[in-house]
Amino acid sequence: MLLEAQNLSVGYGGAPAITDISIAIDAGEIVAVIGPNGAGKSTLVNCIAGLLRPQAGRLRFAGGDLAAVAAHRICGQGIALVPEGRRLFAGMSVQENLEIGAYRRGARQMQLEGIERVYALFPMLRLRRQQMAGTLSGGQQQMVAIGRALMARPRLLLLDEPSLGLAPSVVEEVFEVVRAIHAQGIAILLVEQNVALALAIADRAYVLEEGRIVAAGVPAALLAQSRIREAYLGL
Amino acid sequence: MPHLTLLEQALISGILAGGLYGLLALGLSLSWGLLRLVNLGHFAMALLAAYLTWYLGTAFAIAPWWAGVAIVVAFFVYGVALHWVFMRFRVTEMGSMLITFGIAVIVESTIQTIWTADFRRYETALAGASFVVGALYVPMLNLAAFVVAALLAVLTWAWLRFATIGKALRACAEDAPIATAFGINHRALSFLLSGICAAYAGIAGVFIALIATLAPSEIWTWIGVVFAVVIIGRLGNPIGALAGGILIGVCEAMTMAVADPAWAPLVSFSLLIALLLFRPRWI
Repeated sequence: MLLEAQNLSVGYGGAPAITDISIAIDAGEIVAVIGPNGAGKSTLVNCIAGLLRPQAGRLRFAGGDLAAVAAHRICGQGIALVPEGRRLFAGMSVQENLEIGAYRRGARQMQLEGIERVYALFPMLRLRRQQMAGTLSGGQQQMVAIGRALMARPRLLLLDEPSLGLAPSVVEEVFEVVRAIHAQGIAILLVEQNVALALAIADRAYVLEEGRIVAAGVPAALLAQSRIREAYLGL
Repeated sequence: MPHLTLLEQALISGILAGGLYGLLALGLSLSWGLLRLVNLGHFAMALLAAYLTWYLGTAFAIAPWWAGVAIVVAFFVYGVALHWVFMRFRVTEMGSMLITFGIAVIVESTIQTIWTADFRRYETALAGASFVVGALYVPMLNLAAFVVAALLAVLTWAWLRFATIGKALRACAEDAPIATAFGINHRALSFLLSGICAAYAGIAGVFIALIATLAPSEIWTWIGVVFAVVIIGRLGNPIGALAGGILIGVCEAMTMAVADPAWAPLVSFSLLIALLLFRPRWI
């Protein structure tokens, strides 16, 4: 297993946000985490990325203990985050945002090559490379956020709500890119409100409710459960 | 109406004085803009550096540049230590203002205890030196201060703009958790920046010793002017700090020449209030 969480609990102050969660992601897999607002999906992703530290349980990546790694070294292990709401460095240019993506030692030497690869994936970003990231449209910002994460050359890409606030045509474009990234052999943990899209693309999925995992399996098996169909697809 | 030469002379001394304001504003602007810490102790440390330069020079005959080197190193260490305290106690922007106000008071009292409240003047060989352009005098030391201020502002700007560490610092200022997620060691960088800001206070102090008459209460006269400079120049913008310093320096000098020296302090704040009210695009 590339990533393995066992009985993981994370909270803010005294209040637990996720409790006793066990998930696993294999190399090259797309795993979706779905669930209602406030279920703890972002907490899970942010904990894996090092923004939040686990309070209990184990979190292992490529055989090593992530809880023992300093927050700024987690990226160096091969984990990159596309955060919810994109969180670009708004006052910095598109190119500078991408450069920050390749800040970690293992990626810095390959920065120029990485930038070329991102521009090949998102040709329109090349035209806007000197523009302040904060002045881009939502879809373009999402592309910079994905590009910034790819610059870190991750083995595991954490995608937190990539379709949030985007027009349907742009959402399709983003998911095309997610497929292309997956085709390069990068494992993806996808948190997504758009359950139909997430289940269409995922190899496996977990359903998170009130901080606990209530169902897990391949998309077809989850969709066979009427409770999940009703709750998340309204069918 | 004053004579044209008087106005030209006022312009030159205004620009040169503005360089010193910019130099003082630089460290304050960087720590406020990039670390979100308002360091009122900055002025006190600059004055301490000025007294140290004067004292080392008059009591031990140590040349100001050697004193400067020692001060820069010592102040860098102080800046790192100060930031350690801020980090250790999770000091907020507002809290930093109160704590550094306390530091300023302590430093002022310390200066007063050691060197008394008497005015001090550092007499160096270059103190009166100036060269003449037409009918105008350009004092050497003031020009040197201006050149150093401009050089530091440009270098710092280029460092933030083009260097990997400079970009990382800007990223941290915008979103520290995300910067950390991309491998930036926010703590280490903020220690470095805090040290640099304190070192800048030291450099400013050396020139204050060479140019100005020293008195412990000088700390408080600078706070108003340099605050205005920092805000006019935009937080965290080194070139802006220099430009703001020159703007205020020139306005003050012109006021002194045209009206009365007593009006000069009014100028910086009137200018600040006017700029904040009308907010031109570059602010």
